[in-house]
Amino acid sequence: MDPSRIRNFCIIAHIDHGKSTLADRLIQSSGAVSDREMKEQLLDSMDLERERGITIKASAVTLDVDLDGQPYMFNLIDTPGHVDFHYEVSRALAACEGALLVVDATQGVQAQTVANAYAAVGADLHIIPVVNKIDLPGAMPEDTAIEVEHVLGIDTGHVQFVSAKSGIGIAELMRAIAKVLPPPTGSASEPLQGLVFDAIYDEYRGVICYVRVVNGTLRKGQKILLMGRQRHYYVTELGKLRPQMMPVDTLSVGEVGYVVANIKTLKDVTVGDTITDVNAPAATALPGYQPPQQMVFCDFYPAGGEDYSELREALEKLSLNDSSFTFEPEHSEALGFGFRCGFLGLLHMDIVQERLERECGVEVVQTAPSVTYEVLMTDGSVQRIDAAGDLPAPDKVEEIREPLVEVQMIVPADCVGNIMKLAEQRRGEYNRTEYLSTQRVMLTYMFPFNEILYDFYDKLKSLTRGYGTMDYHLSGYRSGELVKLDILVGGKAVDALSVIVHRSNAERRGRRVLQRLKEEIDRHLFEVVLQAAIGTKVIARESIKPLRKNVTAKCYGGDVTRKRKLLEKQKEGKKRMKTVGRVDIPQEAFMTVLEPEE
Amino acid sequence: MDRNQKELSRQSPVGSIYVHVPFCYALCGYCDFYKELYDRQSVSPLVDALLSELRREAAEHALRIMTIFVGGGTPTTLPIPELSRLLGALRDTVDLALREALEFTVEANPATVTTEVAATLVASGVNRVSIGAQSFQPGELLVLERTHQPPQVRQTIETCRAAGIDNINLDLIFGVPGQAIAGWRENLARTIELGPDHISAYALTYEHGTRLTRQLNAGRVQRCDPELEADMYSATIEDLSAAGYSQYEISNFARPGRECRHNLAYWRNEQYLGIGPSAAGYVAGERYKNVPNSAQYIEAIAGGRLPRIEREVLPPDQRAREAAMLALRLNEGLIFAEFAARHGQRAQDIFAHAIEKHVSLGLLRVEEGALRLTPTGRFVADSVVADFLA
Repeated sequence: MDPSRIRNFCIIAHIDHGKSTLADRLIQSSGAVSDREMKEQLLDSMDLERERGITIKASAVTLDVDLDGQPYMFNLIDTPGHVDFHYEVSRALAACEGALLVVDATQGVQAQTVANAYAAVGADLHIIPVVNKIDLPGAMPEDTAIEVEHVLGIDTGHVQFVSAKSGIGIAELMRAIAKVLPPPTGSASEPLQGLVFDAIYDEYRGVICYVRVVNGTLRKGQKILLMGRQRHYYVTELGKLRPQMMPVDTLSVGEVGYVVANIKTLKDVTVGDTITDVNAPAATALPGYQPPQQMVFCDFYPAGGEDYSELREALEKLSLNDSSFTFEPEHSEALGFGFRCGFLGLLHMDIVQERLERECGVEVVQTAPSVTYEVLMTDGSVQRIDAAGDLPAPDKVEEIREPLVEVQMIVPADCVGNIMKLAEQRRGEYNRTEYLSTQRVMLTYMFPFNEILYDFYDKLKSLTRGYGTMDYHLSGYRSGELVKLDILVGGKAVDALSVIVHRSNAERRGRRVLQRLKEEIDRHLFEVVLQAAIGTKVIARESIKPLRKNVTAKCYGGDVTRKRKLLEKQKEGKKRMKTVGRVDIPQEAFMTVLEPEE
Repeated sequence: MDRNQKELSRQSPVGSIYVHVPFCYALCGYCDFYKELYDRQSVSPLVDALLSELRREAAEHALRIMTIFVGGGTPTTLPIPELSRLLGALRDTVDLALREALEFTVEANPATVTTEVAATLVASGVNRVSIGAQSFQPGELLVLERTHQPPQVRQTIETCRAAGIDNINLDLIFGVPGQAIAGWRENLARTIELGPDHISAYALTYEHGTRLTRQLNAGRVQRCDPELEADMYSATIEDLSAAGYSQYEISNFARPGRECRHNLAYWRNEQYLGIGPSAAGYVAGERYKNVPNSAQYIEAIAGGRLPRIEREVLPPDQRAREAAMLALRLNEGLIFAEFAARHGQRAQDIFAHAIEKHVSLGLLRVEEGALRLTPTGRFVADSVVADFLA
């Protein structure tokens, strides 16, 4: 297809503003699928995504569109909507010339609208604002458009008012895409440069790469080179998603499609890499992406009857189609052998854990999530650590630096006071306030990432009657008064319960953990002392009183076997616990450090 | 059966018999023993089967019966002729020379012992009656679904004593929903006043599948606070010992010489026959339990089959552990010399770890050649004993 007839674009939106519905509607109105085939939210393929209403993997669909007798090729690149998957959004953006910025007319601009819009502007994309759900009661299309212009500084000259659900305004939107968004630049005669903007794993074909051809032509049978990895492959299959996979012989300049090249695992592909022709290579690779950066770490240990090798197999299986989490063997004194896993964010962590249970039938004990800290050593070197247990001895540490995130929160104006109080508790540094309208405010804060890691979003939601939204991005490291908080059970430090906290929070946090542990650990025959300590200094203490009475009165009329079995059962229950020193700790107790503070 | 067990059976005759009579006039919500509502038609076939099983076991094993315990259910629901037939047959298993020393107990509910029943008991050689008093508070009896009234306990004791039965046990239950410490002490005082020879005080247990447990789960009754229950247990030991009843087992108290020899046989790991539906026995190294269903029991006996639902021959190691589990319930404790003689291994060796742990926690102590629970240890006996199993 003549590149001037090609439009490569993505849809970006805050979660639930109708991105997937709009994508479905565009696919449907191009005639790519019949109404009968139309399945809600076609682009979301995993069950889990469907259930959670979030798109995890970007996909690309090619639409053949006829506009007033003129043929066009639209390549629609779907992007994930959740904050954890910023990185994938950025990869998708780089494959496009334009973006549809979808905003819900009943909700207006939200935190991720802002974050995504800025990302699109940063990637030099042309943006068409799309105000969606205009047919809903309470919709304020004009106000929403004004908000987009006012808050985001985006020209709303081409704003489209649609209802993706009922199809209102879709035809006009299609025309605007052709008219407003620029065609791809690039030259067919240049050496091949194809941008790998996503990759998925298919059980039968191995890795399937999604590629945007920036220069030259990609052909079936071509011997290609992944420039970053310096690996050679033969293209065994080439095709487009319409939205089913349809093989083609070539993908020419400006086009988007998929490539199968006998690549065994996702680990062999770096998304962001450039494909070129081995025999006529491009001089340089395209400006690449960053490799995905794991921001949140926790340990998984086999729970109950599961064993270590089962867990390893399950993690390996999952990593075949999710290369953005990492896992490395780990050993804890308290929990035995397991894995230290890294995730893009907390949602990603939850998803991986759920997939382990759902798809692999493996249950895990999970430790408290941690961020990555930079530790400046007295010898001048810098170590990166992602678990409290890895913190070097205090005398070797010059300073500990914690990651900061810039957080944008959009909240109802009457909730600002509460949010500021919350921010203060979490060591937030106020940056600025912007009024989106008289009722809605965007607050920008800088937070230590660790402080918003666990329950911040839930708190934000509850303080704003559910209206608050937030987005964050990593914004460097800063030295802080950080300490390792140890939890001692029966006088023995339990490594899996240690956390790095700010000194000012240590006592409160320690008390809370001890209280929760006290609820989880059964009474023993002796007093169990629980302590929270920084180094050798105990900052909080609790005690679990000894068990006073545990005796079966009856002899069951000589039924000794029954009596014995009852006692054996009691003993069996203890075996499923982890024993530290003389104290039996139930697995649930290891989650107590995750508990929100009161 | 290994050689050792064969010898055991050849060398040591069985000394005790337990007979289970499953009939009751009403079924109490807390009780999880096998029982059924009394039905006249069912009595004779059941007694026939009991006697048939008894004859068969007597023929199979060497007997030297020292104690007989007829429990249930409520054995005294049996009509006089059937009661007489059953008790007579039981007494006939006892060597004439041993009848003088025999402890022959029948369980009774307060409202079920008439002068006639008492006379029948005496005529059949019964010399001990165990009465399920449970409580002297009408409200508590209601929660327990006991049908008798408090004054009937005294009447029953008087009836038994008048008939010549001078060895009386009262069963009591503490930790009843709604019970307070004062109420429990009141029960203890009323009991002491009646001057029984023996008192069994049990903490209420919520057994799986009972009506009471369902009520608990549905939130209709509230479990006694564990601290309060511990206080009640403490008060039991205190008040009863002050009144001259020494504790000789976790839940059992007696005047000197009035310890229940039948129950002692269980705890000392002696052999006993279990006769009747749901009855458990321990003979020749085998622990067994009969089917807890009268119809199936009768059918098995009629068909010449053993009415067993469980049979387990424990390996020597397990048998030793079980012996320790039982012995530690007794105040006399695990007697090292006896244990070594019977099991061929020193308890100090096989349980070295558990002994060390619990002695250091102050829950066990070694004295007079025996391993005993300390007063504190008695409160957590299950936790202690669990470390002696496996």
